[in-house]
Amino acid sequence: MTPVKNWLLASTVATLLAAPTVSTANSDLEKLTQDPANWATWGGDYAGTRYSKLSEINAQNVKNLQPAWSFSTGVLRGHEGGPLVVNGVMYIHTPFPNTVYAIDQKTQSVIWEFTPTMDADVTIPVMCCDTVNRGLAYGDGKIFLQQSDTVLTALDAKTGKRVWSVQNGDPKLGMTNTNAPIVVKDKVITGISGGEFGVRGFLVAYDIRTGQLVWKGYSMGPDKDTLIDPKKSTAWKDGKVQPVGENSSLSTWEGDQWKIGGGTTWGWYSYDPKLNLVYYGSGNPSTWNPTQRPGDNKWSMSLWARDADTGEVKWVYQMTPHDEWDYDGINETVLVDQEVKGKMHKTIVHFDRNGFGYTLDRETGELLVAEKFDKSVNWASHVDMKSGRPEVVPEFSTEHNGEDVNTVGTCPAALGAKNMAPVSYSPQTGLFYISGNHLCMEYEPFEVSYTAGQPYVGATLSMMPAGADVLTGKKDGTTNLGQFTAFDAKTGKIAWSNKEQFSVWSGSLATAGGVVFYGTLEGYLKAVDAKTGKELYKFKTPSGIIGNVNTWEFDGTQYVGVMSGIGGWAGIGIAAGLDDGSDSTNSEGLGAVGAYRSLGSYTKLGGTLTVFALPK
Amino acid sequence: MRKLPSITKHLFLCCLAGSSFTAQAEDKFRVCADPLNPPYSTKLLDGYENKIAALFAKQLNQEVEYFWLPARIGFIRNTLKAENDNGDGFKCDVVMGVPSGYDLTETSKPYFHSTYALLIAKGRGWDDITSATQLANLPLQKQESLKIAMFDRGPGTTWLQKTGLLAQGIPYQSMTGDSEHNVAMQIDKDLRAGTIDMVILWGPMAGYVKSQSPKDSYIVIPMESTPDMKFDFSIAMGVRHGDNARKQQLNDLIDKNMPEIQSIIGSYGIPLLPIPAQAEKKDDDD
Repeated sequence: MTPVKNWLLASTVATLLAAPTVSTANSDLEKLTQDPANWATWGGDYAGTRYSKLSEINAQNVKNLQPAWSFSTGVLRGHEGGPLVVNGVMYIHTPFPNTVYAIDQKTQSVIWEFTPTMDADVTIPVMCCDTVNRGLAYGDGKIFLQQSDTVLTALDAKTGKRVWSVQNGDPKLGMTNTNAPIVVKDKVITGISGGEFGVRGFLVAYDIRTGQLVWKGYSMGPDKDTLIDPKKSTAWKDGKVQPVGENSSLSTWEGDQWKIGGGTTWGWYSYDPKLNLVYYGSGNPSTWNPTQRPGDNKWSMSLWARDADTGEVKWVYQMTPHDEWDYDGINETVLVDQEVKGKMHKTIVHFDRNGFGYTLDRETGELLVAEKFDKSVNWASHVDMKSGRPEVVPEFSTEHNGEDVNTVGTCPAALGAKNMAPVSYSPQTGLFYISGNHLCMEYEPFEVSYTAGQPYVGATLSMMPAGADVLTGKKDGTTNLGQFTAFDAKTGKIAWSNKEQFSVWSGSLATAGGVVFYGTLEGYLKAVDAKTGKELYKFKTPSGIIGNVNTWEFDGTQYVGVMSGIGGWAGIGIAAGLDDGSDSTNSEGLGAVGAYRSLGSYTKLGGTLTVFALPK
Repeated sequence: MRKLPSITKHLFLCCLAGSSFTAQAEDKFRVCADPLNPPYSTKLLDGYENKIAALFAKQLNQEVEYFWLPARIGFIRNTLKAENDNGDGFKCDVVMGVPSGYDLTETSKPYFHSTYALLIAKGRGWDDITSATQLANLPLQKQESLKIAMFDRGPGTTWLQKTGLLAQGIPYQSMTGDSEHNVAMQIDKDLRAGTIDMVILWGPMAGYVKSQSPKDSYIVIPMESTPDMKFDFSIAMGVRHGDNARKQQLNDLIDKNMPEIQSIIGSYGIPLLPIPAQAEKKDDDD
């Protein structure tokens, strides 16, 4: 692969505007996030809790909520992420072409807008799953935009003028970006997408003032690439935290396959300023056919803690060794302090595509809790707490059954019990609020597949409703494809769960008003009671919601905002990826297939920001 | 997110029912194609798929109109099944090459049958290889000096694994992110540079690589299918599910022009096998 580093530095446009002192960027951002009038980072705070102390809108009055104003982004593709609000100014973004708007809330008019120059012919064909973008980052007086074509751009937050740009990856190698960066101290941290092109994932830090590369840690490869110190970096083994040892990644791959190993980093990143550690998850190994890549394929499918200054790995934990199911491990990590089994821990909580909710000590990487947040999940019976490995159920393993045999009823489906939509956490209830999918899948071998001119024997993957109770896993013949679930990560128990007709693909928001908000694929913004899950309010926005619900205060009023705009995998994958119903093997899915088909009658494409408030 | 191609197999079926229109109403032969994918198709129209498209269009008294898009993830979704910007139909109507029975599209009857082949650059110490199994039986030390390319999902990789040579495989992406560079071009370049000495490559691509070097630069050994490893495939044309009139039209054209088609494909040095009778898609579930 082309060494990215060399031309990366060359292409840095370092038109340094008079920047404020950098060392304060971190504490500035921390301060900004502590004021609930702002929503200054994707997760609301560094910990990624998506919790707001605002309580003007509460469980009693939320039924009176009304749309206050709205704004069309002018783009039709899927709208992920959500609005940032910093010192009264709102910043929103669009899918490709990645236009950024700074909006004056008083006049609801555009202060500035910026559209980067990108070559659609080069970028769009390599974006597997719609041209989404998950949002902006703020810090040091700048707005950071991670463009689809991998260019990371810093804009002056006041004027929208470009301060610098850096090429983060090479689109010609299939690299793209969809993630929201985060600002940590004097660095901006970002990742990479493109696992389906064999891209080897990395997390990377750039200097916030110049865009110069500071560190880059790969998901797999030699220790010098992963920034793993074999003696200092730890992993969970035999019931305790131990040094990972030398070449912990290379020893789990055959030959050179790690070079196109995947483990991309297209999710969300969080940060603990006290521990100075950055947290995130890495994606699936990129060789598609699991039998062709023997081994655990480390460190794909893993949770990571890296030193923010050096990138050195503090600890790493692999959730799904040798993935056979596409349980891409990139979902967000939430940092909260909780008492687990009688002891207070600084914990990290992660709800994985594989259906398990993991609670680890975020300082040490000690595995504390690993329980299913949807009991229909069956690919593994449980996670062995001593080894930290899932106990895989052979019946649901294509590799165990053989590639020439149908593997039926594996839950969850490849898109996961939960996809990328970030959870929220309320310290009032101690619960996490999970936007979930409720689907299973079936592999039917012997279909002829074709990739860029090469035919091969592949498999048909069909999805169907789980048809089982989230709380017990018992078959119940239900056809809902989504669940919105409250989960106690201290004990691993589900508190309550609401059925949704379609998968829930929108990041939720919890507030001190005792309300939890989320969006649905039909386009509803919903508010539910944080304690009980009772629906308190809903409003139909112009299109399906795959964005995150955020909240802030302006001129003494609490606002709740969300971008609607169906698309992403939810739009192209969920709505259309199910069996067409003509296949007799999928008869039990027919009801839900009908339901998915009807998504098109609920909603159409189109990006709109809708802002809600209580009537004055 | 890598498994999208298989998940999207039934993409937009929902929206297609009832919206198919008859091929006869069209005045253009509208082809979905990669602008740079030799030997299949190129914008210079020198791929064999370009030539067959021209042949068909001429007989229909139509003009060929291309909708170009690099053949990557989402190709069918973004071409054959994508609606026109003016909302009066689709961006294009025919994909000139898909495997027979491919379920992202309805497929015509097959128009050729080829196989993966072991392609070995001569003069690199492997000139005595006459069958693939010889590689498997080499002394360990000799095996370790193998420089053989492999592709994710390809049967060549399965073969390497089953013969214990997986660790010797040099992994390549099945599709490049580079719209100005394709897989066959990369393999050609790396074979010539000595980065690799051999590759198990799909027939048309093997034909292309061979054609880029002086005669007799390569040993070409067709791979033989076994019950658990399929190397040979029939290639057909793809249309939207339900577009039966167009499928019939293509079938008629294939029947009528079979010798001409075979001669076009043959001129690209592609290893050809007889088309097996059972290769045609048996059930038409539309």
